Amino acid sequence: MSTTQFTGLISALTRQRGVLGCLVVSERDGIIVDADVQAGVDAAAVAALAAALYRRARLCSEAAGLSRVGFLQLESERGHICAAGRDDLVAVVIAETGAPVAQLRTVILQSVDSLV
Amino acid sequence: MSDDIRRLSDELARDPSSLVFIQLGEELRRTGQLDLALRVALRGLERHPHDADAHDLLARIHVDRNELTAAFDEWDTVLKLAPGHVGARKGVGYVLFKQGRLTEAERYLTQASAQNGADPSIATALHMVRRMLHFTDGAEAQAASSDGNGATPLAEAGRRVEEEARRLFAEILGEGEQTALLLDASGLVTAGLYVTEDGRDVGQEVGASLAGIREDAARAAEHLGLGAWSSVTFETDVATVAMAPVLDDSLVLVAAARSVPLGLVRRVLQQCGRRASAWLGATS
Repeated sequence: MSTTQFTGLISALTRQRGVLGCLVVSERDGIIVDADVQAGVDAAAVAALAAALYRRARLCSEAAGLSRVGFLQLESERGHICAAGRDDLVAVVIAETGAPVAQLRTVILQSVDSLV
Repeated sequence: MSDDIRRLSDELARDPSSLVFIQLGEELRRTGQLDLALRVALRGLERHPHDADAHDLLARIHVDRNELTAAFDEWDTVLKLAPGHVGARKGVGYVLFKQGRLTEAERYLTQASAQNGADPSIATALHMVRRMLHFTDGAEAQAASSDGNGATPLAEAGRRVEEEARRLFAEILGEGEQTALLLDASGLVTAGLYVTEDGRDVGQEVGASLAGIREDAARAAEHLGLGAWSSVTFETDVATVAMAPVLDDSLVLVAAARSVPLGLVRRVLQQCGRRASAWLGATS
């Protein structure tokens, strides 16, 4: 696997317990910039859907005058999608139900500065 | 003239007996060209007097022209031609509602909702009618009647429904630095308020920006085999925003200052979700 400027961020996140994959995607078009996901995860679809969610959150924040969106979490029956962005790039993490979301939040927010 | 209107006009000119006049009339109506839309619909009906959709178009044009009696007559014709026409049932319900005939309006809207439960405009109208019936104790509230102070029972019931909706979450939120909204499937505000620090109510703008987020969240969770989604939360520099699905097509949203702990925001979200479900469910 080749190394990119996002390799450090992705490996820091995929090392966390319960993480099924991590992607860096473009918020504008949902295209994958870099990714490391477990077999069976449709990375392209996840990228597009997560980017759409993050974009909606940003638009909502703009409409309400709430400034820049940081951490986003979708919680569901069997897992989570977590995301944090900077400029046009969004780091997306897919995690199982038991994953330590608070810790993931800290790591993803620490890592987001490298999204340039 | 838009490209669509030009294309449809050309098509109709090539074949005057075509049913394309319905699309053309609708496009003209949608763009506010009501006189032209009316002419197109009437000419089309000369050739197709038994077409239910053509009468439906004419009814909607009449509504936009504030000609409610004419609209009612057209929808009545539609229901004679096509008894199961959802648009006509919804339309008749709307006219009856505007005329203060709430019980009859409820009957038509209930039928329309049973046929097309996915249409948020029907669900919202039905909810409104049922709440107004609640405030008029089920009595008819003819728009023309008055209580002597100039306010009709219909207007008074409408005001009370509006107030009830606006204050739906007030008890839960208290005086804290938080606000809550209930949005329908189109992102329209059903209840609650979103007031910014400078006193502006931006509920509609927030709702519009979130239209479709329910579907996005459901698709994302489903695609990953994560099951049904229960909440989406995001943090900004100044606030935490959390939202959750309510019943089949609504969304409840809570926004709180960053000083409010995330766990508390989630508890408030759950309480608001239950309150919204009870309020919507009480009339469904």
